[in-house]
Amino acid sequence: MSEALLEVEGLSKTFIARHGFLGTAAGHVRALSGISFSVRKGEAFGLVGESGCGKSTAGRAILRLIEPDTGHIRFKGEDVRAAGARRLRQLRRAIQIVFQDPYSSLNPRRTIGQTLSEPMAVHGLGSAAEIAAAVRAVLAEVGMPSDAAQKYPHEFSGGQRQRIGIARALVLQPELIVADEPVSALDVSIQAQILVLLRGLQERRHLSFIFISHDLGVVRHFCSAVAVMYLGHIVERGPVPAIFDEPLHPYTRVLRSASPVPDPKAKVIMAKLEGEIASALSPPSGCHFHPRCPHATEVCRRVYPEWVQVTPERGVACHLYPAAGSVPA
Amino acid sequence: MSKAPALVVEGLTTEFRIGGAWYPAVRNVSFSLARNETLALVGESGCGKSITALSIIGLVPKANGRVTSGRVLLDGRDLLRLDEAAMEKIRGNRIAMIFQEPMTSLNPVLPVGFQVAEALRYHTDLSPKAARERALQLLQHVKIPSAARRFDDFPHQFSGGMRQRVMIAMALACGPAVMLADEPTTALDVTIQAQVLALLAELKSETGMAMIFITHNLGVVASIADRVAVMYAGDIVELATVEELFAAPLHPYTEALLYSIPRVDRDAVDLKPIPGQVPPITAMPAGCRYAARCPYKMARCEREVPPLVAPAGAGGHLGRCWVRAGDGAGGHA
Repeated sequence: MSEALLEVEGLSKTFIARHGFLGTAAGHVRALSGISFSVRKGEAFGLVGESGCGKSTAGRAILRLIEPDTGHIRFKGEDVRAAGARRLRQLRRAIQIVFQDPYSSLNPRRTIGQTLSEPMAVHGLGSAAEIAAAVRAVLAEVGMPSDAAQKYPHEFSGGQRQRIGIARALVLQPELIVADEPVSALDVSIQAQILVLLRGLQERRHLSFIFISHDLGVVRHFCSAVAVMYLGHIVERGPVPAIFDEPLHPYTRVLRSASPVPDPKAKVIMAKLEGEIASALSPPSGCHFHPRCPHATEVCRRVYPEWVQVTPERGVACHLYPAAGSVPA
Repeated sequence: MSKAPALVVEGLTTEFRIGGAWYPAVRNVSFSLARNETLALVGESGCGKSITALSIIGLVPKANGRVTSGRVLLDGRDLLRLDEAAMEKIRGNRIAMIFQEPMTSLNPVLPVGFQVAEALRYHTDLSPKAARERALQLLQHVKIPSAARRFDDFPHQFSGGMRQRVMIAMALACGPAVMLADEPTTALDVTIQAQVLALLAELKSETGMAMIFITHNLGVVASIADRVAVMYAGDIVELATVEELFAAPLHPYTEALLYSIPRVDRDAVDLKPIPGQVPPITAMPAGCRYAARCPYKMARCEREVPPLVAPAGAGGHLGRCWVRAGDGAGGHA
């Protein structure tokens, strides 16, 4: 086991939902409720879940693009939350983010070359000539033609724009990339191209990833460990593919069996799955999943389950799994 | 299953005007659909799958689009020859369509129950009271919880999955013979998608309607389709039963798509992305439109458009490929 590059512990964030002209507080949304995980050097760590589970908030909170309320973030042992503005800027060189929609995250009025050289200029990384050379190198690395630097975002297809988004994250030579649904907007053939590109970068540069996705297939392919989120909590965490082949948490099982597989013999049969994803504004009492859970008992309605470390690699938050000391199933 | 098909599409070609010239977005598409059958139209962005559906239901934007040839036979009539007034009587009645984003298809300022009842009042002579009762039944039928209480709620008060159920209730209102479903679950979370797919399958077998299900997701195809038409750059390149398509894909594009999907149920050894991109509609190559990306291409592929034919011994499995299907069997164009 190699050292942890990033450690997240008990990270929480509550948003205040406001409404009306005066912005009266209408309620509290617990987007993150004490999530913990760690990412090793060179590892791709997946965060999966459905809309509103908090996976994107988690990605942004790590970069402090959203300031978390409580919890610890340690990058190579350093407390990210304690960093001042100047130190934070330096840390963000090492931790970069790639977004889902590369079109809305690229400035349409700047050439690709301008977009890619700006971060290096901001961080004072070399002369104009050195920066231009670095831009050419990074464009080649993500498989873009060298004349791309003179063009504007609208001249590229979705897949090419995502390559540019990745190039922008790479120019600062990061160690960790938070990739927020980086292939979700792409057609499958293009999605596969981007996944192969990311895999190559991971191997060549020994990059680590926090890979946020709703697509279990993509996560199984790209990640070696994963955390499954539901309404702000991590409900299960552990190595891939064990989590998908033998899911413990009832929600992970539901998510797994609802994920379509390109094989008519493995038709999704979902008659049993009842109910909707609850609103994060008023999550159900106890275990948030209990209204949809086929195994829910009285205690599930009252008490949020404790985290149970089933094996050294694997844990789950569910009353089905007896807490510390007892032998896991 | 009765013998007469519910819908027949023959030689459908739809063009769009770009910079003053007309380019085909859908070329010579033919298929038929039996009662109680689901045909999936599958392909990547821009392959013409949605345009095929819009052409069938007469909703191709007139400003820059036109159906230039073909026939769409429903109840013994060619829909392409009907004027708008006649088509309005059929649309939402004998043939209905649901879309990817139910929020933009529902009127935000009208209660959902009213919108379902409106479809009934337009196409039937039900009294307002009877239409309201029937609309409530429909909302219950698509399993909207406490439908009676939510009848007068507005679309924004519904979740994405529930809005899609409302759309399905509207589409079902008049008991259509054919339902066109254009990526109806693409915007939904997977657990909700599974519920909506189960609902559609159930409604189809209950009512015996035929369904054209448009999607880019081969996993969804495997869950819901009886037969599959794979589209690429405006052509159907392969047409087969769902079992045959996944067990023995004929067209190199279908095969490549299957190899490029990261699967949740097994460890992909290696993803094999398809190199290159779909050619733009304004610059289609002369021969097979997939040739530039195809690892098996021969000289002929770049010169001549292959026909959609069944290779000897393939049953009804059609492929548009010189390499795999050759020109052994004749017949289909």
